[in-house]
Amino acid sequence: MINLDEDLLSSVIDLAQRLGAEYAEARLHRTKHLGCLSRNGVPEPALIGDAYGIGMRVIHSGALAFSATNDLSKENIKNMVEKAVKKARASSPLLRHKVLLSKEKSIKANWRSEEKKSVDNVDFDDLFGLLKDIDNLIKDGKNDVSFPNRLLASSILLEEKIYMNSNGTIIKSRVPRVGFSSYITTFYKGKITTITIPSGYSQLGESGGWEVIERLEIFDYVEKEAENLSLAVKSEQKPPKEIVDVILGPQVSGIIAHESAGHPGEADRILGREAAQAGESYLKPNDLGIKIGSKEVHVSDDPTIPHSNGFYLYDDEGVPARKRKLIDAGIIREFLHNRATAYEFKISSNGSSRATSYDREPIVRMANTFVEPGDYSLDELFEDVKLGVYIKSFMEWNIDDKRLNQRYVGLEAYLIERGEMKGMVKNPVLEITTPRLWSSVDARSKEVEFVGATCGKGDPMQGIPVWTGGPNMRLRAIRLGER
Amino acid sequence: MEIIELADLALKEALKLGATDVSSICTKTNENLVRFSNNSITVSKNIKNLELFLYLAKDKKRIMGSSSNPNIEEIKNFTSNLIKACEALSPSPDYTPLPRIETQYLSHGIYDQKLAEDEIDLIEFVESAIDASLRAGADRVSGSLMTSEENLAILTSGNATGQDKRTKILLNVRAFSGDASGHGLSCSSKLENFNPYEAGKEAGEYAKASINPSPWEEGVYDLITLPTVTADIIQHIGSFASAFAVDSGLSFLADKINQKVSVNDFTLRDYGVIEGGLDGRGFDDEGFPTRENVIIEEGVLKTYLHNSTTAKKFNTSSTGNAGIIDPHPWNLVVDPGSVSIDDMIREVKKGVMVTNNWYTRFQNLRSGEYSTIPRDAAFLIENGKIKHPVVGLRISDSLPRQLANIMAISKERRWIEWWEVSIPTLAPSMLIKSVVITKALG
Repeated sequence: MINLDEDLLSSVIDLAQRLGAEYAEARLHRTKHLGCLSRNGVPEPALIGDAYGIGMRVIHSGALAFSATNDLSKENIKNMVEKAVKKARASSPLLRHKVLLSKEKSIKANWRSEEKKSVDNVDFDDLFGLLKDIDNLIKDGKNDVSFPNRLLASSILLEEKIYMNSNGTIIKSRVPRVGFSSYITTFYKGKITTITIPSGYSQLGESGGWEVIERLEIFDYVEKEAENLSLAVKSEQKPPKEIVDVILGPQVSGIIAHESAGHPGEADRILGREAAQAGESYLKPNDLGIKIGSKEVHVSDDPTIPHSNGFYLYDDEGVPARKRKLIDAGIIREFLHNRATAYEFKISSNGSSRATSYDREPIVRMANTFVEPGDYSLDELFEDVKLGVYIKSFMEWNIDDKRLNQRYVGLEAYLIERGEMKGMVKNPVLEITTPRLWSSVDARSKEVEFVGATCGKGDPMQGIPVWTGGPNMRLRAIRLGER
Repeated sequence: MEIIELADLALKEALKLGATDVSSICTKTNENLVRFSNNSITVSKNIKNLELFLYLAKDKKRIMGSSSNPNIEEIKNFTSNLIKACEALSPSPDYTPLPRIETQYLSHGIYDQKLAEDEIDLIEFVESAIDASLRAGADRVSGSLMTSEENLAILTSGNATGQDKRTKILLNVRAFSGDASGHGLSCSSKLENFNPYEAGKEAGEYAKASINPSPWEEGVYDLITLPTVTADIIQHIGSFASAFAVDSGLSFLADKINQKVSVNDFTLRDYGVIEGGLDGRGFDDEGFPTRENVIIEEGVLKTYLHNSTTAKKFNTSSTGNAGIIDPHPWNLVVDPGSVSIDDMIREVKKGVMVTNNWYTRFQNLRSGEYSTIPRDAAFLIENGKIKHPVVGLRISDSLPRQLANIMAISKERRWIEWWEVSIPTLAPSMLIKSVVITKALG
């Protein structure tokens, strides 16, 4: 555990208030990272990262300032606080809109994610050993497809924080995370393709100790994916040109939940704060209650899911975390808020404020965003599809900065005829507007699956751990493109 | 302690504990940032960091680490822990000794003391940018303005030693006129070349020119990429030139050395240090001197970017681009062409001109197939003239095809670095023929 110097935080807040700040908060934040990379079974240099410092925010005369340093000497801390207050004051000539915070209860808490096998006892032997075992599973290729290049990565990320604000809140926390990702080059009859496992440049990742590796059933997962994706890269069959039904696998419904419901539901984007970087949203402040999709569309974000990659119980403004129903039966129900956006909407924060490091400002973020499960089995989803495509996983994807115009290009994908899978199709392209996509959903399967991802937002950039997830999800009457 | 003393302490400690190779780099940074939206400041930031980066090898076992807690006691602990962790690793068949460089590096001088001052009035610059945007026809303006100063010191077991420092100022402005938007940038290593008013004006004018977009059909178009878009394409090409990416099978440039990958007019260079450059330094992470590297010369791929390890694998010399694992470009520069943007527009029968883009993602890194989304102002061109603004485009193509299809490169170039372009790039506008532009099913 880090040296949790409450006195240091108290002194920061006291000084900020003495200098006239109407609000102050401070966060001692340590991120320790162990990273391993292997290429074709050969280890690259191991990595140890240790970032520890203090970040603080003040509001003075309605102006917000953030300041951070890793020099924790008294003199430098004093300097940091004075600078933050000075910067807030200096903003006043161009402050046309004051920053005010929603009223929240003061909290005293000490929380941590479950950690059965402490990451403190994990070493590079464990991390490289894992990669070696995985590499042994796939190095000989699958289904006549060879894997000449295998770049595998394993990591431990431990986050420890102590947070304090001038409203009397003080919270300590510890969240370890374990992750795996890979890039693999496939070779078949002279054709070279790059894939990732998991697909879509995502990760297998959860919060927890080393027991995460067993819980993820990582060896079975990688072997099965390698098997399926080796078949996918062999396929030359183009997707049908006519209007078809499309079933999206959990990885695809998950990324859609993140991109087309989570991001546009971030209240800071809706208010324009991220306009010059991550963009805005198709949703406007008064769009709660509008219909965006069919009755089958239910999308939530929930930081409190045990073991999740985006797990937390209190956010980085000291607000308790809870599940947020973003879209309920096709209706926009809730946005993601921090205290500043909540004040604008005249509500309480729903605990969405997160920072990746001591030197990053807490901003509105997703945690674990997913399409809720339905009541169909996968077979039932297929049953009445006359002609369709099952896009189980993807690689290329993107979306415009209002979150209206998106594209997902399939990796593992199958043709469906009269309710049955009839071989694979190559790189079907789903390029569709958000209202059309959500309006086309008519059924979801019972099981939800998640993968880990790193979501980018903020300036300076912050890549934050999240889960994306969902069930298999059926869309009616879609025209697909081809790559 | 000074950063050179901290780096020295870590080096000596590591050598004392038996390391055979050590690269010790200490970095001190000071960033000031103002973010604004809806014509109002949203937050002001100051971030000060002191970081130690250490690469060690012992008995051909390799490890690296970074610590943001570099005081004397912590450096000793950190180095000792790193050595212990290193000793527990397996020897690497890829181990390559650090280069012996009997060089004392001096600061390259791309530095402006005015940008290093905390007291610099960023608010005045932001005000100027917002004012210019509004005057040009925008109704609301967002953006960020950042100044940074970085001081570095390096010491290696190969006898490289030295210090360097750099400054920069980056302004990113996005102006809105109703639903239409325009983008403007001003990026400079020195204050004298920084022009917030012009960046704001450019954003405002583009926003105004983008009002009332008209329908368009998806298909094949000639594409004019203005410098911000060109820079995004080029930064990806620069990253694909990493010998690590090539050796890992993750680059469309694999097996293409001395082959034609683009047109005669296209030359791409990387500089460790260049006047006006927004990044870079005189030495890389192995203590090897950085330099000018011609990656693509008159359309021919001439070199990958190397560190010592990749250079040994490829039987060549380091290009001064370490990254201990992955070599990377410092400042990418596209040689200027001979035409103006107006010349390009006159050449186009059916095309589009895009001013900004984001979200570039690849289907297959080996084939270079990718798509990216134009944002802010974009225009349809017909028969040599700008016809009307368009929205909802997606460039869905491949990098090798686009490189081979460059028809013209502009004389005028700009330094680009912003939220979406992290590798500083001196970029021209380019005319690329026959690019697939797609749109979403609505």
